[in-house]
Amino acid sequence: MTELGGHPIGEAIDVGARPEQSSPRGDGLRDQPRSLVSDAWRQFRRHRLALGSLVAMVLIVVGVAVGPLLISYDPERIDFAAKSQPPSLRHPMGTDELGRDQLVRVLDGGRVSLAVALAAVSVAISVGVAIGAVAGYAGRFVDNLLMRLVDVFYSMPGLFVLILLMTLIGPGFWTIVIALGMLRWMGTARLVRASFLSLKEKEYVEAARAIGAKRGRIIFRHILPNALSPIIVSATLGIAGAILTESALSFLGLGFQPPQATWGRMLEEAQRSVINDGHWWRGFFPGLMIFITVLSVNYVGDGLRDAVDPRRLER
Amino acid sequence: MVQAVPLLIAISAIIFIMLQMTPGGPLAVSEGGGRSGRVSAEDLQRLRNKYGLDDPVYVQYFNWARDLVRGDWGTSFNTGLPVLTMIQERLPTTLLVMGLSFLMTLILAFPIGILAALRRYTLFDYLTTSVSFLGIAVPSFWFALMLMFLFSFSLHWLPSVGLSDPRADYSGIAAIQDGALHLIMPVTVLALTSTASITRYVRAAMLEVIGQDYVRTAHAKGLADRTVIGVHALKNSAIPIVTVLALELPDLFIGAVIVESVFAISGMGRLFIESANLRDYPVLMGVLIITATLVIGFNLLADLLYAVLDPRIRYQ
Repeated sequence: MTELGGHPIGEAIDVGARPEQSSPRGDGLRDQPRSLVSDAWRQFRRHRLALGSLVAMVLIVVGVAVGPLLISYDPERIDFAAKSQPPSLRHPMGTDELGRDQLVRVLDGGRVSLAVALAAVSVAISVGVAIGAVAGYAGRFVDNLLMRLVDVFYSMPGLFVLILLMTLIGPGFWTIVIALGMLRWMGTARLVRASFLSLKEKEYVEAARAIGAKRGRIIFRHILPNALSPIIVSATLGIAGAILTESALSFLGLGFQPPQATWGRMLEEAQRSVINDGHWWRGFFPGLMIFITVLSVNYVGDGLRDAVDPRRLER
Repeated sequence: MVQAVPLLIAISAIIFIMLQMTPGGPLAVSEGGGRSGRVSAEDLQRLRNKYGLDDPVYVQYFNWARDLVRGDWGTSFNTGLPVLTMIQERLPTTLLVMGLSFLMTLILAFPIGILAALRRYTLFDYLTTSVSFLGIAVPSFWFALMLMFLFSFSLHWLPSVGLSDPRADYSGIAAIQDGALHLIMPVTVLALTSTASITRYVRAAMLEVIGQDYVRTAHAKGLADRTVIGVHALKNSAIPIVTVLALELPDLFIGAVIVESVFAISGMGRLFIESANLRDYPVLMGVLIITATLVIGFNLLADLLYAVLDPRIRYQ
């Protein structure tokens, strides 16, 4: 409404250059330049489910981080007097067949599950950004070669390769993190490459080149910050995928080994007692934690996507 | 089309080399002695010669690939059976579970997605959207476990594991009925995620099309709603959906690993995990090749269908 005038539509999508559509008075007087973050936050707040999910996510992270410190039970303490108890006030999530408190195990296991997912996504994003940036900036032969590499990794049967690596090398924190990361970087690489391909032709990049900026400076200082929004969204959604995959691996008995609890591992241990003895709480709570975490991460990712990409608001 | 073969070669080579580089190598289990008893050094050497394990990796790969193309997939270290026979035994089971899940996805996702699009912003639409969002986040093994608790342990309606009742000796219709009862839960679990995501795609694709001019024209010339939606709108919204459906198939195949593990069904997934634990390299390579071929094949199918269904693609 205000200064959009001569801009082609495509330009309006660029961060910051968006026309004010939501000025409360509609008079445009209050329009001030806003940063990407504050702009995105304004949009994000409107997405109520995403906001609620963000709160849930923070609660889970805080609970997992400080919870085990507040509860007096040790996650690995065995107490046969209290074995296989259904949920009660003393043990809100019940106990397992060794009398270990499930709540504290769920919180303790959550630390590992979340840490693995975060680390794996960091690996995936780093590899994806590096390969995507090189491919997009260099173009031609290098681009072609790297994109074929992406195709190869995309066609790999991911879970099968993970199972293979875990049985042959043996599970460990970094094995799992790196294996997960190496199988999830391709999407990011494609996104980053696409952004780089279009951004490197922009005038401001040409201007930077004209004043003699070095290649590294152009890539990291000028192009990468403008390609950040899709990376953030895909990283967020990647966390959900990593949590699910790590849990699946642990569930198959190929992830972390006992006594270390992870959500998937607890479900694996719970299988018999749920199916044969009907101790539903053994499986219900660890799975519920995976479910709620993945769900809220997905909602947050969805909200972020809407927040950083104004095009999607029109729908 | 051109890409499929080099891709398969690249993937099989990467996996082959990865297998060779793992600590221990194929004979680690035999070398360890352990339960199977000690294997003497000469016997080990004989095994190494037999399987050509002292050759350089690329020679081993070329030998393996040459035999593969000729139809010799090697023999299992563990059972001594030809790999191809073992796979032929297991593959139909996995394809059955997978195929039924795919069918279930189609039967559920299309009507629900279309209806949600037609009744946009109604309670039904909101329910569909949120349930499908939940469906995507549910870990399949948890869902499976909870179903088993409910329908097998508590209600005794459905058998919890396997594909048939080992104690009963059914034949004819009774056997089919028994098999069907065993399949209900695995198929439902496997279909959950794909149904959830396909429903979202159907809804989105339908919404995209409903607003188009030719749909309004069809309405305007007095066609019944049924015809407009079922023929004019659906046909055009099907283009993106078919692609997504083809891409869903590899996910179903890989998801079957988990389902087979929870429900103790002896398909490809279990074969793979068992072989991985035993380091049965020939079987592992065989299963991986089948899986990679399926993944690449379905991707190719998605591309081809896209071009067939959308004549505009050819002009580009």
